[in-house]
Amino acid sequence: MPDEKPAGDLTRRTVIVTAAAAAFVPLSAIRSAAQTPAPQRVFSAEQKRTLEAFLDRLCPKDELGPGAVEIGAQDYIEVQLGDYLAPEKQTFLDGLAAVDAYARQSHGSPLADLSPEKRDQVLTDIDSGKAPQNARGFFNRARRLMLEGMFGDPHYGGNKNFAGWDLIGYPGPRLATGPEMQKMGAPIAPYHRSAWGNEHGGH
Amino acid sequence: MATNLKPADVVVVGLGAAGGVAVLPLTRGGLKVVGLEAGAWMNPAKDFKADEIHNNVRGMITTGNKIRREAPTFRAGPNQPAQRGAPSPMMNAVGGTSVHYHAQSWRLKPWDFKTATEVKKRYGASYIPKGSTLEDWPIGWDDIEPFYDIAEREVGVSGKAGNIQGKLDREGNIFEGPRQREYPMPHLRTCDYLEHMKQAARSLGWNPFHSPAAINSVAYNGHGACGYHGYCDRGGCHLQAKNSTCFSTIPKALQTKNLTVTDRAQVTRIVVDSNGHVTGVQYIRESQEYFQPAKAVLVGSYTYENVRLLLLSKSKAYPDGLGNNHGQVGKHYFGHWDAQAGAGVTALFPMDLNVWYGAILSQGVVIDEWADDSFDHGGMGFIGGASMTVNTEKHPIAAAASNTFGQAPQWGSKWKRWIHQNAGRWVSAYLQANSFPYENTVLDLDPEARDPLGDPVIRVTSGPKDNERQACLYAQDKMEEWFKAAGAIAVTKGNPTGPRLSTHTYGGTRMGDNPETSVVNRWGFSHEAPNLGLLGGSVFGTSGARNPTLTIQALAWRTADHLVKNWKAIAG
Repeated sequence: MPDEKPAGDLTRRTVIVTAAAAAFVPLSAIRSAAQTPAPQRVFSAEQKRTLEAFLDRLCPKDELGPGAVEIGAQDYIEVQLGDYLAPEKQTFLDGLAAVDAYARQSHGSPLADLSPEKRDQVLTDIDSGKAPQNARGFFNRARRLMLEGMFGDPHYGGNKNFAGWDLIGYPGPRLATGPEMQKMGAPIAPYHRSAWGNEHGGH
Repeated sequence: MATNLKPADVVVVGLGAAGGVAVLPLTRGGLKVVGLEAGAWMNPAKDFKADEIHNNVRGMITTGNKIRREAPTFRAGPNQPAQRGAPSPMMNAVGGTSVHYHAQSWRLKPWDFKTATEVKKRYGASYIPKGSTLEDWPIGWDDIEPFYDIAEREVGVSGKAGNIQGKLDREGNIFEGPRQREYPMPHLRTCDYLEHMKQAARSLGWNPFHSPAAINSVAYNGHGACGYHGYCDRGGCHLQAKNSTCFSTIPKALQTKNLTVTDRAQVTRIVVDSNGHVTGVQYIRESQEYFQPAKAVLVGSYTYENVRLLLLSKSKAYPDGLGNNHGQVGKHYFGHWDAQAGAGVTALFPMDLNVWYGAILSQGVVIDEWADDSFDHGGMGFIGGASMTVNTEKHPIAAAASNTFGQAPQWGSKWKRWIHQNAGRWVSAYLQANSFPYENTVLDLDPEARDPLGDPVIRVTSGPKDNERQACLYAQDKMEEWFKAAGAIAVTKGNPTGPRLSTHTYGGTRMGDNPETSVVNRWGFSHEAPNLGLLGGSVFGTSGARNPTLTIQALAWRTADHLVKNWKAIAG
């Protein structure tokens, strides 16, 4: 017969979490166990160069700090195309090739060999629908995955050094927050932790 | 061959927001109950994460693989092909969608139960929306109020009353129906942004109040208070402060020793005898088929699956599906016109709002002036309106994925600068409009799309409606007024085109006195199969302008309570 399990058994971990929440104890003292998985090899060296040349224009490194590449969006994409997003791997690679083909066709060079200004022209053409349709589809998907890789939890391979969260002022996944963390205009100390670290119960 | 199990008094199909509540009065009433749930128990310490990719991008808490393959198809009219592919609004787990919901716990208004009568009285019959199948519920405020009171206490709801036995309090919702007493817990914590929005609303002469929530504002039900950590939306509560039924009513029912929970059990058919009485249910667990005999069956498996299970359960007594000899199963279905249906409004402010943390709609403030019949609709040409909620909880990917209000491109250094400044400065408001049933909107079995067992999935056919669109447009203008009064520097409004698949769905097994226009009676039992009860939004005749769960739970309690009190007559 099917088994029967009561819900809500308090494990030791839950007790710790609840106690911390009640007292709003800052958990920054606890070492983060955020794990950044090593990228599986989904991209060839050439494909990786092309993708980085593309992401670098979507979100460049500039006076505000690191861009998509420095924040590791391409690592997120590579890790995930080898894992959860494996079903779309081939579509992604085909789209990337279409972007590079358009760069060669319109500017006579692979995307990664073009100047930033020329790469911007290529991206503008794709964004405005001048380039072939599969390049446009790639643009939208790559931009979306870049957002996930920059602003998602570092557990998935991107958001290096929490630089994505720092860029937009997201203060990090705390287990509990007090009213002082909801004051308009008042800065909140960044909490550089993954939601998959020890203080969040681990894996 | 199916294994025959030991008979139960009652089988409850689905241990979610509805079934998870119904088991409590049943087991307290001494009945032996078997709860069959297609999903598994979830583990708060392991399964619930403060992680946007886990909860929101990938829906790891909201949809298992099973439910994805059972998602209904959708078409916008009878001559169009029905398409698959929309994310499923359903959920398999002990606790069901109450695991990950926003825990909004609203009472409907007295008006919602008697809309047809009230509209005709105040505005004339011409104000009944054309093509609608609107009728009064067979029950009214006095029938349901005691069960709202029980549900608020047994599930655990925080809030502020606005009308206690006719005495109004402007800290609460002055438009609510009279309640016998205050909520069992005070409303959830306020914050700067919400106080700012309250002040703006008051400057317009409106009455802002904190939304009611099945979340502990103080210790309750053996669990501590909310941590406001900002991963409530589509996530389970790591503190068990959200009163999902797996943390509230189901554990209490287990304490009676009268409840057996069988998880990962997929119910495939309801079985009847030659007299049309229900004799039990057939289910599959780990590829084995079982027959669970019972003297009564309560079905609470979400609107789509309630209808599907009845339509699939054909027999000599019910050749067109269980309880469908009047052809009403699947009729009077409708989805809620809300922000997901295009009724949202988004605003940009010139300062950091710091609403990253919080508790989604439940740490929220609501305006009810422009909902239901709170204002005079004379000359407006529509009925109803929308409640408007502003709230906290903002996730980083979504914050950065915002449109830029026309102020910057979508990529490059200018975009980067824009999100650097504004990702924490824009917010959305959640609008929910009064929605009604129409002739052009029904559920049936899809003639082609099937689940992995080979059974057809539900097909949603949803035609156009004008009344709801007008109500949404009207309320969106009011929302824009509110945001601007609060100092918003830019406002964008969605295009309300109506729901496709929805997390708020109604009808399909409507409640009524007349078997020609409804499926269940005023107690929630089939007009045709007397020992079959239906739980969930599928029994609703109108939506109200607010989230349905507390009403679902009050009605589930009432149906179960009726069964206990009339056990011999119904199951004897």
